[in-house]
Amino acid sequence: MNMYEIIFYFFAFITVASASVVVFSRNIIYAAFSLLFTFFGVAGIYVLLNADFLAITQLLIYVGGILVLLLFGVMLTTNTVNIDIKSGSMNVLAAASVVAALAGLLGGVFWTSDWFVSKQMGELPAQTTSKEIGTALITTHVLPFEIASVILLVAIVGAAMMARREGIKSQIPSSK
Amino acid sequence: MEFFSPTDLLGSSPILALGLFSLIALLVNAFLKNSAGMVFYVSAVGIFVAIGCSIYTFPMNATAFSDMLLVGGYASFFSVLFLVIALFSMFIAKPYLEREQYHYGEYYVLILLATIGMVMLASSADLITAFLGIEMMSVSFYVLAGYFRGKLSSNESALKYFLLGAFATGFLLYGIALIYGTTGTTNLLRIVTMYPQPFNDPLHIIGWGLILIGFGFKVAAVPFHMWVPDVYEGAPTPVTAFMSTGGKAAAFSVFLMTFSVPMSMRDERLMTVLAVLAAASMLLGNWFGLSQTNLKRMLAYSSIAHAGYMIIGIASATPMGQQGIAFYLVSYALTNLGAFGIIAMMEKENGGNLNYEDYAGLGKRKPALAALLAMFMFSLTGIPPFAGFIGKYYLFASAVQSHMTWLAIFGVITSLFSTYYYLRIIVYMYFKEATNHEEIKLPGLTFATVILCGAGIVLFGIVPSLIFDLMKSIF
Amino acid sequence: MEISPVIEALIKIIVVIFFILLPCVAYLGVQLERKLSAWIQNRVGPNRVGPYGLLQPLADIPKLFFKEDIVPAAANKFVHSLGPLISLTIAFSTFAVMPFGDTLPIVVNGVVHNISLQIANVNIGVLYVLALSSLAVYGITLSGWSSNNKYSLLGGIRSSAQMISYELSLGLSIIGIVMLSNTLQLNDIVKAQSGYYLFGFLPNWNIFVQPIGFITFFVAMFAETNRLPFDLPEAEPELVAGYHTEYTGMKFGMFMLSEFLAMFAAAGMITTLYLGGWQAPYIEYLNLSPFVVSLVQVGAFFTKFALIVVFFMIVRWSMPRFRYDQLMNIGWKVMIPLSLLNIALTGLFILKPIHTWFN
Repeated sequence: MNMYEIIFYFFAFITVASASVVVFSRNIIYAAFSLLFTFFGVAGIYVLLNADFLAITQLLIYVGGILVLLLFGVMLTTNTVNIDIKSGSMNVLAAASVVAALAGLLGGVFWTSDWFVSKQMGELPAQTTSKEIGTALITTHVLPFEIASVILLVAIVGAAMMARREGIKSQIPSSK
Repeated sequence: MEFFSPTDLLGSSPILALGLFSLIALLVNAFLKNSAGMVFYVSAVGIFVAIGCSIYTFPMNATAFSDMLLVGGYASFFSVLFLVIALFSMFIAKPYLEREQYHYGEYYVLILLATIGMVMLASSADLITAFLGIEMMSVSFYVLAGYFRGKLSSNESALKYFLLGAFATGFLLYGIALIYGTTGTTNLLRIVTMYPQPFNDPLHIIGWGLILIGFGFKVAAVPFHMWVPDVYEGAPTPVTAFMSTGGKAAAFSVFLMTFSVPMSMRDERLMTVLAVLAAASMLLGNWFGLSQTNLKRMLAYSSIAHAGYMIIGIASATPMGQQGIAFYLVSYALTNLGAFGIIAMMEKENGGNLNYEDYAGLGKRKPALAALLAMFMFSLTGIPPFAGFIGKYYLFASAVQSHMTWLAIFGVITSLFSTYYYLRIIVYMYFKEATNHEEIKLPGLTFATVILCGAGIVLFGIVPSLIFDLMKSIF
Repeated sequence: MEISPVIEALIKIIVVIFFILLPCVAYLGVQLERKLSAWIQNRVGPNRVGPYGLLQPLADIPKLFFKEDIVPAAANKFVHSLGPLISLTIAFSTFAVMPFGDTLPIVVNGVVHNISLQIANVNIGVLYVLALSSLAVYGITLSGWSSNNKYSLLGGIRSSAQMISYELSLGLSIIGIVMLSNTLQLNDIVKAQSGYYLFGFLPNWNIFVQPIGFITFFVAMFAETNRLPFDLPEAEPELVAGYHTEYTGMKFGMFMLSEFLAMFAAAGMITTLYLGGWQAPYIEYLNLSPFVVSLVQVGAFFTKFALIVVFFMIVRWSMPRFRYDQLMNIGWKVMIPLSLLNIALTGLFILKPIHTWFN
């Protein structure tokens, strides 16, 4: 086991352990919070794969953006501490059988697949990937790049429309 | 430095036109007061321009943006279909929204943006563009489904659609990732040249399976159909009209295109899976359709069943099946738009007047409307001389051609089920006494649209070669 | 004598933290701020401990350490303690990529060792800084939430809303610089600011090349560091002390420390990105030895840095606080369009440089 593998397993452990807290924790705040460490672990694995740009983007977008919004949502909907919102389990039997089938399938695929293994893993030269990604985004992938921005526009228009106050004729009883 | 070739710009011209006009519409809406009507006209002009662009590029047979987009032929055909659907649904929506006092410009902007997504779907030659198109279309639909912000049913519809849709998108994305992992590319044109080598890899097959789940959700096939009835019922009627026709057509256009890649192998396993999916959709859709009392819900279940019929065309993997799907989409879109147009005219505030009983005696009260609705129901059932018949004929024939006679027989039997609930509405209209004598207003714009739809299904039912001649050059 | 990179980095970290940052916080931060505010408000300021009150910070630190550490009964104990730690860690981390100078040539046994005056020369330094600034939200939000106090929660939520909003214009203003210097590496960005601009005497600093970007970046940095006029998260008249209302002793001290560090990081980033970093203009005319040049450059960096810090403080003590809706309006309706305009203009000038406009 070389240094590279130790670091890999360290990040993998953080990812998996915190992800299981996300799934199994009954306190929704802890679940949201441990998602932070899942994202960190994934970012660490990206760094090990020499994908520095991806790693930082992961932190910027997932940790800095999405998770903050998630925490916002959780904090504003619960009574700060001693929360009532719990994630429970239902349909245990059905879910368990589906999960078992899925796990069997994925396990089977995992063992039978012909994985691509790089010989010089961990000895790849440290190089910056941001330049290649940037070039690809404005040459070969310019269309998806632009369309993604239009999707954001759709989301903004939609959110603004959903949230605006004027002209609402509500049949929804107000919360007071 | 040359960034774009003329093909790139021409190929994406419908998308560019729609994008430009949606931005203009957005600005008009933002800076002018009471501008909803104005936004409507701007959007309509945008759609006409985009139709012009699509027709202009039809003879081209090329790819644009480094093989990301297909240009001409297939893409143009479906783009025109989506654009016409968008236009018709706007015509249905304008009087409806004015009556409900929910007439805002954002509605038309979102329709235009959703149409951009649809056009992307029909032209995508790459899984990335396919994914982005699906997202763009779906996000617009989520918002449109919740357009009646003050109505609980509309909110429920939006939330349900959003949660389940996001879940399905996850499957799609996971599948795309696996296919990228096994082939090193997301480009369909490049993946197809690698066959049959990637099919030895179980990961690759699972990738297609996950994509199938994603598409199955978008086209509303059983067992991914749970969202359909509630969403179709809760969403505003013009939105349902748009979703059930445009959304379905767009999802099928990308489904067909994408699965022409693995189906190029005519892999028995995949064909069987698709055939089972088709059979289940036809059976369950029609079965649950029998017991509905609400017309919107009935049409939702019928939409599940029709998804089943169309999947036959993909499962058979023959040019006949593909042409059948394309024709079926045209006829289904016209029929459903017409039917929802009539429902939109009949509907009263807060979802009243949507049940079978409310249509009793319509044959005497509004003979023209009743005749049109009867025509649409006949077409959905698949009775000649309407377009629905030709479409069904082609799809079932393609199943026989691919040695799946059982599927064709199954399709015919389930169609028989459906006659019950389609014809029931006709029975109500012509053989029951009216209980409700409220005045029914027929807004000119919607009524004209409905008449156009009716004329369309008769025309294509009698002269199907109008479309099949076009399709000879596509498939 | 070769030093392993790990040891070298460790030495640099220790030097930066104990010989640069902590004295800076104590004197440039606490002491100067108190003196400056006193001067602005026509008071005397601390003058009891030591000559001219110079030992005041040394007296403050033990006070903070020996104060009772109170955790509210209804607080979430674990997260309550984690909040200040996260804030502090993130505040320190920014300095890992800050280029304090170019390279310091040290001669050991006749061999020249070029020691880079930057702890880690990360390829994507700019993104690293942005990522850290977006992480800074966590310390504040979590401590605000875990205190189980409505003022704290409101402060925490305000600050996260504010930081998320201003992060956009922060990132967008930097894009202009990245476009010009073609790199995300901070030291390379500083190197790209060498030479002269227009008329041959104005240094080629980004503040002169990118005036709009500078303004948006500067304002966004104020908001990111929660300094007045953007200190709504701890607005005293409304929120007591905002997210750190329920903190005492050294935990409160950690917030103080991280706030000062955030301000220094902001000043350091402004210096690096817009004021030419360690570039000292006209120094090449003086024919100095490389060692002295390097020292002068470090001096230049800290001079600019200190000036920015003083500016931050003067603003703090002379401006009233924004109202919350004003803050959001400025962020979304002024700063973001301005920084987008800056990107467009930058692209235009790259396509057609200014000296080709008139011929």
